[in-house]
Parts: sequence; structure tokens; C-alpha cells
Amino acid sequence: MTIRHHPTDESLMRLAAGSLPAGPAMVVATHLAGCPQCRERVAEFEALGGILLEESAPVPMAPDAFAAALRAIDAEETRAAAGKTARPAAKPRAGRAPATLPGGIPLPEPLRDCEIGPWRWIGIGVRASAVKMPDDPEARLTLLRVGPGRKLPEHGHFGTEFTQILVGSFTDEFGRYMPGDLTEMNHDIEHQPIVDPDGECICLAALEGGMRMTGPFGRLIQPFVRL
Amino acid sequence: MTHVMQEGGPPDGAQLARMIVRIAVERDRQAFAALYSHFAPRVTAFLRKSGLPPNMAEEIAQDVMLTVWRKAEQFDPARAGASTWIFTIARNLRIDHLRRVRVATSAEQVEPEEIETAPSGEALMLASERESTVRAALAALSDEQAMVLRLSFFGDKPHSEIARELGLPLGTVKSRVRLALGRLRALLEGET
Repeated sequence: MTIRHHPTDESLMRLAAGSLPAGPAMVVATHLAGCPQCRERVAEFEALGGILLEESAPVPMAPDAFAAALRAIDAEETRAAAGKTARPAAKPRAGRAPATLPGGIPLPEPLRDCEIGPWRWIGIGVRASAVKMPDDPEARLTLLRVGPGRKLPEHGHFGTEFTQILVGSFTDEFGRYMPGDLTEMNHDIEHQPIVDPDGECICLAALEGGMRMTGPFGRLIQPFVRL
Repeated sequence: MTHVMQEGGPPDGAQLARMIVRIAVERDRQAFAALYSHFAPRVTAFLRKSGLPPNMAEEIAQDVMLTVWRKAEQFDPARAGASTWIFTIARNLRIDHLRRVRVATSAEQVEPEEIETAPSGEALMLASERESTVRAALAALSDEQAMVLRLSFFGDKPHSEIARELGLPLGTVKSRVRLALGRLRALLEGET
């Protein structure tokens, strides 16, 4: 699989810095799962984080801070010696069968712990499913399933929309997007992606910032994506 | 007992990495003390720069150091240097903290996730090699570009904060961030 469309360096930097919101961060993580080149870029930005940490002018801690840290360690080791774990073990995930995409295609690895909502009809040839992240139930993340030759829901943006193609392909003014590709569409552009005629397209989308929906499809999807 | 700190000057990356390994292998509290005195004040400063109030920055820095103690055996010097590894812990704990604050004010409390401390780096490039490449690229940027890069790394709303800090229009800042990142990319890829 040749990946032609990648996240911007700015988004990769913000992911590494921890300032990309949870929804877009998950879309970018789904891209990273299939893109060693972007994983290396994120590693470079993490190294930049290490350098910036190293060069930060030290701020003195409270006088008893280190003693408090040692007390916390002692307390943990006492508990551990008494046969209890220092921290409760992570709850096992609910015993759901692993979700798949339509057609039995496995979910991308980063999405495996997410709750995938029912597919809802939001327009002719367009269905959407809300994705709930276990760590961040408030994050807005949507799977879209759009039939061949259909337009993706039409909207103008206020923020940036992150879209990762999982299955199929679509084309817009800027090119053709295939599985593994990620597009970032900015607010100043009204773009109109159309799914290629050879099959349906499934993609994962999240928005940073608000979105103003236009057109009948937009109005239909509006309440669904909770904007 | 080996010397954890060399006289004069802060410990270098290799010494810091050895301290973490000694915590992992021997639960060496002397190594932890040296690591704490180097990193806790820097992590606090770093978290303040990223917008946390001072008391919260110190509290999370304390958590970062306890996480270093608990998870020292996950540290792999081939994947990331000491500073990079500790940076990723601080980043993750900051995200957890901000999420808890947000969730507590809206819906029910969510248990914090068991944090994943492995940085993204793979064995594609040795951590030390990657870090020296990034360090050299940062040093080769113009002062203005390096500043734009630092500000956009720390900011939660990068462009608007930089615009305020530099007294520039938002559109100008956006293009400067793009230019600085483009220049960094060119330097990292060995172009000049």
C-alpha cells in the first residue's frame, strides 16, 4: 500500500506534543498504524520534546517534594509487600466480540477499544456511526460509509477536518484518496469529495473546531455529530 | 556504589539513561534522587510553559517522577533517550489530567487509563542518532524560526497564542509556523 497523503507536520508535532484533541489524535493514530514514515516523524517530534524539556530552566520544587516522593514510594512498596498491587489493575475491557467494519474487515488496531455505534442512514447512500473512545467519551469521532459515486456529506468548515480512508477511495479537487491516506481539510475551503465509482468508501473522520453544515445532507448529519 | 552525578555541570544523556536503568534493575534510590533533582524542576517548568497553573504543574511533575520509578523497566535506551522518555510520560499525564478536569465538569468520572509509556520511536533509527539529528536541526534554524517552533510546540492553541506573544496577525503566524516546520523538515532530511 503506497500512502500518498499524510498528516501535516504541524498535526504530527501537535500529536507528539499532546495538544491535538482526542478525536483528531485518534484519526492520526489510525494513519500512523499503517505509516512507518509518519511514525518516525512523530518520534522526531518526541525527541524535540525531550530537547525542550532538557533546556527548560529548572523551577525549584517545594522543599519537601522529594521527601514526599520517597514516602509515596515507601507506601507503594509496603502495599506491594503485603501482596496488594500498588494500583488497581486496569479493568478488562467488556467482553465484546471484536467489532468489524462492514464486509468483515477488521477495525484498525487503534480503534479496537472503541465502541462503534449503529450505522445510521443520514442521506441517500450515506451512513454514519458514532465512535466512542473509552478514554474520552466526549470526543467526536465518526465512521462514514458512502456508496460508490456518492458525495461525502457536504459541509463548510470552521475548523479542520481529519479524514482517514479505511476502505475504498474518493476524489476531490486536490486528488484521489486511497486506503491509508489521510486528508486535512481546512475551514477556508469548501471541498466536495466524491466516492470513486468502483465501490463504497469507509472513512474515519473527526473535526477540530466547529462545523457549519450546508445542504440537505449537512442538515441531516448536523444533529447526529452533536454539533 | 557508582557515582550518579559527575562533579560540576548537569549529567549528560548517557548518565541519565544509566540512572533509569539502575532504578529498573536495582531499585536504586540514589539514582532516583539524582534523576529527581535533574528532572522534577525541569518537568515542572515544562508543564508550566504548556499552560498548567504552578501548583498543578508541580503536582503532575511529582506524578511523572513516581511513574519513572514504577515504569523504569519499560525504558529502552535504543528507542528513546532519558529526556524523550520522561517527556512522553509528562505529556501523557498532562493529557490525562486535562481530560479528568473536563470530564469531571460534565459527566461521570472516568478511571484514568493505564498510561502507555512507550514513545513512538522504533528501531528504524537509533534514539541517540535521531536526537542528535533533531538537536542539530533545531540549532540550524534561525532564531526567529526556533522561537516560532518552541512556541507552537508548547501552545494548546498554537497560532493564536503565538500571534499574541509576537504581536503579529494570525495569518502571518500560520505561515511562519508552516515555514519553520518546512525548514526543520528539510534540515532533518539532510537538505540545506
